[in-house]
Amino acid sequence: MKFSSKLSFSAIVLALSLVLVLPFGAIGQEGCKGTPDDPYISMERQEFLEDEPYKGKTINILAPKTTVSKPLYDFAKQWRNETGGKVNITEVPLATFHQKIFTDLITGMGQYDGFLTAAWYYGDFFEGKRYIEPIQKYMDDPKMPYWCPETVNPAIEQLLKWGGEWYGLPNDNDGQAFYYRKDILQKEEYKERFEEEYGYTYSLPPRNHQEIIDIAQFFNDWDWDEDGKKDYGFTGHFKVGGQGMFHYMTWAAPYVISPENRYFWFNPDTMDPLVNSEGHLKALEDLKKLVNAGPKAMMAWTLGEAWDLFLKGDAVVAFTWGDLGALAQDEETSQVKGKLGVSVLPGVEEAYDPIENKWVSFEEPNVVGNNIGGSWHGVISIYSDNPQMTYDYFAYMSRIDNAFWNQMRGWTGVDVGRSFAFLEEHGGSASVEDFTEQNWSENGAIEMSKGYHENFYADQQFNLLRIPGAEEYARAVDVIISQVLSGDTDPAGALDKLADRFNNITARHGKESQMKYYKQMLGE
Amino acid sequence: MAGKSRAAKFVFLLPALLWVLGFVLYPLINSFSLSFFRYTLGRGREAFIGVQNYIDIFNSPEFWFTLKITIYYVLITVTAETLLGLFLAWMVNKRIQFQNFFRTVYTLPIFTTTVAVGYLGVTIFHETGGLANWVMGWFGLDIQWLSSATGAFASSVILDIWRWTPFAFIILLAGLQGVSKSRYEAAMLDTNSSFQIFRYVELPAIRFSLLLVVMLRMVRAFKVFGLPFSLTGGGPGRSTVFYTLYVYRTSMKYFDFGHGAAMAYVLLIIVMIVIFQLFRLLRESFAAE
Repeated sequence: MKFSSKLSFSAIVLALSLVLVLPFGAIGQEGCKGTPDDPYISMERQEFLEDEPYKGKTINILAPKTTVSKPLYDFAKQWRNETGGKVNITEVPLATFHQKIFTDLITGMGQYDGFLTAAWYYGDFFEGKRYIEPIQKYMDDPKMPYWCPETVNPAIEQLLKWGGEWYGLPNDNDGQAFYYRKDILQKEEYKERFEEEYGYTYSLPPRNHQEIIDIAQFFNDWDWDEDGKKDYGFTGHFKVGGQGMFHYMTWAAPYVISPENRYFWFNPDTMDPLVNSEGHLKALEDLKKLVNAGPKAMMAWTLGEAWDLFLKGDAVVAFTWGDLGALAQDEETSQVKGKLGVSVLPGVEEAYDPIENKWVSFEEPNVVGNNIGGSWHGVISIYSDNPQMTYDYFAYMSRIDNAFWNQMRGWTGVDVGRSFAFLEEHGGSASVEDFTEQNWSENGAIEMSKGYHENFYADQQFNLLRIPGAEEYARAVDVIISQVLSGDTDPAGALDKLADRFNNITARHGKESQMKYYKQMLGE
Repeated sequence: MAGKSRAAKFVFLLPALLWVLGFVLYPLINSFSLSFFRYTLGRGREAFIGVQNYIDIFNSPEFWFTLKITIYYVLITVTAETLLGLFLAWMVNKRIQFQNFFRTVYTLPIFTTTVAVGYLGVTIFHETGGLANWVMGWFGLDIQWLSSATGAFASSVILDIWRWTPFAFIILLAGLQGVSKSRYEAAMLDTNSSFQIFRYVELPAIRFSLLLVVMLRMVRAFKVFGLPFSLTGGGPGRSTVFYTLYVYRTSMKYFDFGHGAAMAYVLLIIVMIVIFQLFRLLRESFAAE
């Protein structure tokens, strides 16, 4: 065939493909166009890019100095090649990140066009006035990168919206799942020894929180992988300011949230704190037992050190974010590739209803999924001179191919959670090969997809506190949890103090207005 | 001519005067006035509330806790740094061999930055891979440096002493080197004891230097911030939330400038009382002489 004939033939095949496939609205992804291998780029976008639309322009992005900001640089280069636009990225330590954002916004300095924000800052973005731009108009613009909102799981989607409107562009998918060493826990010898000691056989994944505690205690402080080093039961991180309070939230959720009660933080009718309820107390006491089945040094660890212990093969259980599962696939740093078990936190059989002040029992463990963490993602400042350009950059990172690339690499800090990173059997569109092509093990693909699908699509979900002052409430939890777990104070007294602290913060922000924001956050 | 000269003096003084008015007095007065308002960044001065911010502070257990541990911190570090600095200065002043070498080495820590020292501390006191526990391991000890309240406090104190002892050393060495030879010669007629000479000749001669060290170190130690910020983040729990870190969080993290300003003034008053007492001591000591 001559070249022109070949071209005509290809054009016909392409046209036929489009005619046949587009009416069903999918190429490998229900409701979405494009796949991680073949992202959808609209004709309008292609035309828009022809003239390098942002040439000579620069946007300034503020990001936390953590792993999650690292991919910003790579994508800034790629995006510049496509659009001509330049991105200046400023990183500040996590401990001062919140204040940098809000000093810029509240004082109206407007130094930054966008922020790689944490989801729990949203209340502050809307206190008094709106500080970030809604993005629906850009999402509807075919010139902008297409990232398919349908791929975002509902637990994370809720975090990117305020009052039902989109403000954030999906990036990270934070949620804490339960990780365990499947290879070790499956050893018959250990199972038998465990049964002798505890009088029952554990399940895989463990049936409830008590089983996790028992397993951690059984495997703590001896060399169960026979590498000549002492191993531990549990690993976590509780350094003040190191996001340790999220462990407590994840762990405590099923002790309080149940079909009888959905409130974890406050009574929405009175704004009285619930954090010193009997359910919260039991959760904290149980967490203390679990933490005691790990290295004492955890009290001074940040997340990297906690993950490292698990990745080195020295801890048998952990519950943390998706980073751990992705990092486990990197043979250079991980000794647990192919040895993982991942599930939603298994829950407890008794939950406390802090509104009605009563314990409620369940035949099966009460499971609560969570979207706990920053779910670090892009938002646009109202002071930006280039809001469309800022959206364009963040949307480029959110595009299916780029997001999948990010989620497959632990060092990016971007965790799995969008439907193209779930296997088909878990309601997603990925195959095991999609993962193994990215150097994941088959075990990693299956376990992470299963575990995180269970978590994000659980019938009950934890409500991440996102009212104004959420940073301050979270900090108060952080300090109290650290005090209790380090043995500095007793759990009951500490939680009462926490409730007092919550009352002070609420009073300062205004009780009525906080109540309004809390109900808004809960969608009531 | 005299009038012109007086005017010229004022012209030359004007920049300094403006500096003091603009960058010292105005912030002091403004922040003092803030302490009587409910003031949150973004909302401005919401209401004049009199001394309510001060009442809130005094009713807050956090305030008393942070003040208590700060006072402990000041007492321990300033005492240790002064004594250690004095001992090192006394040793070096004895014209030992390699005096210049020791003088240089002893002063090195003072040139480090506080935050860097804090992060260095994280590696030194790291409980599973740090130098401190590696050394302690020789004696069968495994100390919870950063994961226990006492350990974290002790780690902060140790680093502070390491960093600031050279300051005491330099000033006290200068003081000792200023003691005239004739005093030593006169003392030698009565005793050969180095301790006696130190007690009755050198110590009285350097008391002003000693007081200066104590005073300057106290002011700085009350304001300790960067070290706990980078070493422990104030934890575990609140065990190393020293006063300035508490003020910083209230003002700069939660934007509650009203309470923050009141807290800052409480600290200012405490430090001023301490300093005035030290000055009084100094005056009395000179008067007695």
